[in-house]
Amino acid sequence: MAYVAARGGEAAILEAERLYKVMLGPLGMAQVRMLTDHLPYLLDRVMGEASLYAPELAALAVAQTGGDLYEAVLLLRAYRSTQPRLAYAAPIEQDAITTVRRVSAAFKDIPGGQVLGPTLDYSHRMLEMNVLRGQPTTTNSSVDVSSTVSSSPTVFPALAAWQRQAGLLPEITADTTTPDEIPDVTREPLLFPVSRSHKLQSLARGDTGGILALGYANMRGYGAVHPTINEVRLGYADVILTHPVTGVHFSAGQVRVSSAEIVTNFAGDPHDPRLELGFSATLGWNEVKVIAASMLDLSMGKAGHASQTPEFVLYHTEPVESSGFCIHFKLPHYVTFQSSLEAMRGVKQLERADDLLEMAEKVDA
Amino acid sequence: MKDASEGFDQSTALGLTATASPDAVKALAETLLTALEDSGTPLTVVENRTGLVMLPYRDTVHGSLFHVGEALIAEARVRHGSLEGYGACLGRDLEFALGMAIVDLAFQSGLLRDQVQAFLEAAAADDAARQGALFAQVEATRVQMETF
Repeated sequence: MAYVAARGGEAAILEAERLYKVMLGPLGMAQVRMLTDHLPYLLDRVMGEASLYAPELAALAVAQTGGDLYEAVLLLRAYRSTQPRLAYAAPIEQDAITTVRRVSAAFKDIPGGQVLGPTLDYSHRMLEMNVLRGQPTTTNSSVDVSSTVSSSPTVFPALAAWQRQAGLLPEITADTTTPDEIPDVTREPLLFPVSRSHKLQSLARGDTGGILALGYANMRGYGAVHPTINEVRLGYADVILTHPVTGVHFSAGQVRVSSAEIVTNFAGDPHDPRLELGFSATLGWNEVKVIAASMLDLSMGKAGHASQTPEFVLYHTEPVESSGFCIHFKLPHYVTFQSSLEAMRGVKQLERADDLLEMAEKVDA
Repeated sequence: MKDASEGFDQSTALGLTATASPDAVKALAETLLTALEDSGTPLTVVENRTGLVMLPYRDTVHGSLFHVGEALIAEARVRHGSLEGYGACLGRDLEFALGMAIVDLAFQSGLLRDQVQAFLEAAAADDAARQGALFAQVEATRVQMETF
């Protein structure tokens, strides 16, 4: 293979970018505010995949790319690379998350109960056509907040902790690694066999569509696990920092997080059956992603389909690498393609020469 | 969260300031700056920048720690005499972070104690109202299961 330098196209490139922006229209704070206020789930998806919690910048990235999510994620990741790492927050613990939604498909009565929170799960999927007739929807709560005697508890224990107390799960020893020593795929290559920290971090920043596709393949029948959702949760996690002088811990604000536990009904020693769980969490509220990812967490490492192979799953669900590799094919490959063409022409010439030789031999005969 | 009528410790004060209205924090900081200037001791901005904070998360199944992502923050550090104030908030509002650091400095030194206390009480009341309203609505979505 050979590489050649090529010139030309600068003016066309500049005009192409200009045309893109002309077709997109002017970009201003109004669009950024509109996206921030009205499309939080879209921004959550972008922030989760970008692995950067910055709603205003996510809104800018979405607006600037006209809603091309892979470009938006790339923009956020690129911005992230310009910023210094200032600190490591204290670990987010499941029972400290301010929770607005927590449901279980495995148990109807769970410690703390089940709260549906904000969801459309049980709603009719019908377009609000009245909006197009100039009648906006109302968003007032039916709850009289001032007269409510008791509000919902704001934190809930992990369901796995309850199952562990009941002897359904093996005891665990909490990881005491200091935050700055936790393996980090943004600074180290993803190597196999993969560490649990790398696996969960890769799933957390994975492509929602890719994780869903592999998770769906797995749960639909190509995997060995029939999933039940132990719990799925949406909430706000405090970003706990340390005052650099006094050493006091404080919350610098809250980030939206989602998590899921997937459970199987039997695992391990047949004489001492235990539940087996998969786990996933991500930045932002993205239930589909964490459910599919926890399914993959549970099934990865089991023999069988590619969707159970850590290397296959984690390499192919990286949104920037996979989308980047896909779209790089539209960039000039003139030399490699010409090389293939020349090889093809060479074969054809050889075949023609053989044919001519064969014909000549027949004539001679 | 402490009751608004009680005193605040530094952790609570920092947390309330970080989630208070940026305009309110900046306005209080302006007032505090005037008082600091009157003291005759110079105020030095040691740091005022944006950057990233890694967010470790504990997996509930194996107890392992992993990074769920990073958060963009603005932080500031100011020095006045022997005291240092610090502020850090989500986002990239450097003035907000600087205002937080000045409020933290005042909190530690007791400067304009009544004004700082009034600000924190108002922030605590706003926070309690916001949380109360949200979780009253969340409570309304609690499922009461029955078995037939």
